[in-house]
This record gives sequence, C-alpha cells and structure tokens, in this order.
Amino acid sequence: MIKENNIKLIFLSLSLLLIILIFFFPFFWIITSSFKTPEEIIATSTTIIPRSFTLEHYNKILFNSDFFIYLKNSLIVSFSSMIISIILSVSAAYGLHKLKFYGNKFVEYSLLVTYAFPGVILLVPIYLLFAKVNLLNSYFALIIVNVLFATPFAVWMLKAFFMLIPNEIEEAAYIDGASRYIVISRIIVPLAAPGIASVSIFCFIISWTEYLFASILISGDDLKTLPVGLAGIVGQYQIDWGFLLSGAVLASLPVILIFVFIGRYFVSGLTEGSVK
Amino acid sequence: MKKNNIEGWLFVFPLVIWISLIILVPIYIAFELSLFNVKIIGTSGKFVGIDNYIKLLGKSKFINASLNSLYWIIGNAICQTFLAFTIALTINYKFPGNKIMANWIILSFIIPTVVVVVIWKLMLSSSSGVINSVLIDIGLLDEATGFFSSPNKAFMSLVLINSWRWSPFLALIILSGLNSINREMYDASKVDGANFVQQFLFITFPNLKSVLFVLGLVGTLLSFNIFDIIWLITKGGPSSATTTLPLLIYETAFTKFRISQAATLSIITSFLLLLFSILFIKSMAPKEDD
Repeated sequence: MIKENNIKLIFLSLSLLLIILIFFFPFFWIITSSFKTPEEIIATSTTIIPRSFTLEHYNKILFNSDFFIYLKNSLIVSFSSMIISIILSVSAAYGLHKLKFYGNKFVEYSLLVTYAFPGVILLVPIYLLFAKVNLLNSYFALIIVNVLFATPFAVWMLKAFFMLIPNEIEEAAYIDGASRYIVISRIIVPLAAPGIASVSIFCFIISWTEYLFASILISGDDLKTLPVGLAGIVGQYQIDWGFLLSGAVLASLPVILIFVFIGRYFVSGLTEGSVK
Repeated sequence: MKKNNIEGWLFVFPLVIWISLIILVPIYIAFELSLFNVKIIGTSGKFVGIDNYIKLLGKSKFINASLNSLYWIIGNAICQTFLAFTIALTINYKFPGNKIMANWIILSFIIPTVVVVVIWKLMLSSSSGVINSVLIDIGLLDEATGFFSSPNKAFMSLVLINSWRWSPFLALIILSGLNSINREMYDASKVDGANFVQQFLFITFPNLKSVLFVLGLVGTLLSFNIFDIIWLITKGGPSSATTTLPLLIYETAFTKFRISQAATLSIITSFLLLLFSILFIKSMAPKEDD
C-alpha cells in the first residue's frame, strides 16, 4: 500500500513539474522578455532572471501605434458575437435538451459536425458571398462568422447544465400556471447561469482569437482586429521583438482579466457538468 | 417529458437557420465555382464540368497536402491525448493548489493564436531562443538548431505547438468525464485488489466513452482545420512539408488566385470530412440510455 502511494507521489511530482515547465514557463518568459531591452531579448546567452528593465516597448505600442484602434475593433466584434451566440445557443439548447422534439438527435449531431465546415473550406465561398452582398470590410462580416464557430460547441456545453435541472421544477411551475417565457426567464436561465457564464467566455475567446477570416474579410486598417494587427508585425522581415512581445502581452490581457473574474465559472462549467 | 415537436423546433430554428445559411450557401457557391474555370475573383470563367476534379485528384500537390493533413491529424491526436490525459489525471489527483492549476492551465487556449505563434517563435528561435540555449547548456545539443529549418523538424515543432494550445482545453473536458465517475467504483475495485493501471483501464477509460466520442469527432475536425499556427510560422514550408489541405486551399485562392481550383479543393475536402464524420458517428456514437 505504502509503496503504491510512493510511486503515485513520484508520478505526481514529475507530471506537475512537466506541466509547469511546459504550460506556465512560456508565459513567464514572454512577459519578462517584454520588459527587457532589445539587446537582451536577442542575446544568445539567456538568464532566467531578467538583467534589464525598460518600458520603451509598451511606450511605443501604446502611444505610437494603432493598438487602440485594433483593441476597439476586437472588443466590438467579440462582444457582439458573444451576445448573439448566447441568445442563439441557449434557445437551441433548451429546445434540444428540454423539449426533445422529433429529430433532436439529428440536429445535435449535425451541430457537432458543423465543425467540419468552418475554417479554410468556407473561406473562399464566404469571401465571394460577402463581396456580392457588400459585407466585406464590416464588423458584421466577422460577427456572422464568429457566431458560426462558437455556437455548435456552446450548445454542447450547455447540454450538461440543462440536463442537471430536474424536469419536476419546470412541471411544477406549469401546474401553477406559469408561461413558457416565465419558466425560461425565472427558472431555466438562473439555474443554468454558471453554464451560461462559461459559454459566454467560450464564445468571447473564439471571437477574440479568430485570425483567418479577420485577415481576409477586412482590408481597411481602421477595422482590423488585434490578431491581424499583431500578425502584421510577425510577418515583417526584421522582427522588432520588444514591440511584438509587448503587443502580444497586451492582446492577451483582456481575456486574462475576464478570466481572473469569471474564469472559475468557465473551468467548473467544463469540468463539473456531468456529461452523460 | 413528452416530446414537443413544434415548440422544440421553434427554439432550435434561429440557430439552425443561421448555421445552414452560412454553410450551405457558400458550399453551393463553391460547388458552382468548381465546375467553371474562374481565375480572378469577380470574373466569370468557362464551364468545364468535372475537369477541375479530374485534374486535381492526380496532382502531386493535392496528394502531398492530403498526406500532410493525415499525418497532422495523427500526430496531434497522439500528442494531445498524451498531454491532455497527463494534465487531467494530475489535476484529478487532489493535491493542494489543484483548483488554481485547473483554472489557469487553460491560459494557452484563451490567448489569441497569434500570441501562441509569438511565444514559440521567440522560445524556439535559432539565434536567441531560450530552448536552444537550455539544450546547449545541459549538453543535449552542440550548437543551436533551427526548429523550423528541416521538413521533419518543422512538422514536429508545429504539432507540439498546436498540442500545447489545445491539450489543456481537452484536459478539462476529460476532467468533466472523470468527475462524473462514481468514486465508490474505485474503492470497490481497491478492495478487490486492483492497482491503478487496472483502475484506469477498467473503470476510468470505459466511463469516459461519451466524452471521448465528442473529443474524437470534434478534435479531429478541429485539428484538421488548423490554419493560422502553421501559416504564421512556416507558411507551409520548408519545401511544402507543412502544407496541409487548409494551407493549400488558402494558397491556391489568395496567393495564386485560382479561385475555381480552390473551390474544387474545398468541395473535395468537405466531402472527405463529412464522410469521416458519418462513419465516426455511425460506428462510435455511445448508446443513449435515457
């Protein structure tokens, strides 16, 4: 018994070390590097503890670049996509998992399969379609696409939360004469709130990180999102690392901030809903 | 609960319409394009029937990209399964701080892909990357190596970077499956003398079936669709070693401007993915017991 526990402990410590090294160290590295002088960033001999400290990169990106324009665009696109995705997916998840109609399994699996179509396969035809209906270079073009990417999985995530709500609560409300609208707004939505919170974060992240469609559907500088703006710097022949790193840190900051406050809902939403 | 056919459909309708419109209309446009020889966006080409398909299927570029996509899916599946299970089983073992770790392990998934690219371009840089200097310091390397310079190294580095992004997210979903397993089953098996390998094989794994089904399906499709990480790091090179089907479609459409060819590629790819999904669902879908 004791022997097995020791083996377990060794395994646990090893995998913990591995996880910290692989999944956390890179963040420490780019954050500290974004405060290093350009010479130290590209120095061949590296030390874990930074030797220099400077704010010049942040100064440059905040006051001498289009950062705030990109930030504004990213925020508008991500929030709008999130709100539309939530409305559509909560409604669909309710229909699928609480009302159970003829063909619900088909719809459920089809939604999962729609992950087959997004991505580059749709890129050319969507570009042509949006060109035809004059949607290129608009926030709405990106919102349409982001909702498409976010909702199939959002519906699947909501399933676990809706299944946890006992049908008896709903039935009792109907017996008391409540309407469908009252039941949804007063019972279902509040009880599924952690689920809805985690789905909101998921939808926001999907839109916040989207690069491919944003790079093709938007060509005007004034409508570019953060990932596209950053990718422009990555693609340059002579990379200004300090500029790029501070940009990367700032572009991650909003999602990290959201995560500080409501991240635990997202994680418990993913891990504690009993997916059956 | 009894089935509510009309109301049920009403609730699902808005999403179904949104998704179908944005998928089916473009697919129709792509199909139409694939029968013509349109080169530049906006011009109308000549009707060529299934010529595009015949030409493409024999092209070495197409075969090369399909194989790359296949290796990409397999490589990512192996790597991500290993990493995701390591993370999930570690966090599931209740140690102090496991909640904080569960919360923050997902960092690599919530940041923009472009940032993932920035992180690993810096860490793996051949001239000043920290990984190179650590590997030299501990004696594993004699001199700095270019992680994206040879076809094989570039491919493997990209698989690892992509797995780094996705495995924490997959780990949390596996964790949800682990949490739904009844703890008493482990205690009972311990009484019967099962060790933890046996527990994993006979309790943990079978109980994860429905979660693994969704991960197998969605994970494969998502891996297949990866574009930005590859494009922003290697542009499909060196010598097309990292050109998967998504990159080939993008290149054909937006750097070579062969719109009809790109549309044909999109249709063939959609067909392959649809076929995979149907076969996967038919053979692997867990039985419903409600």
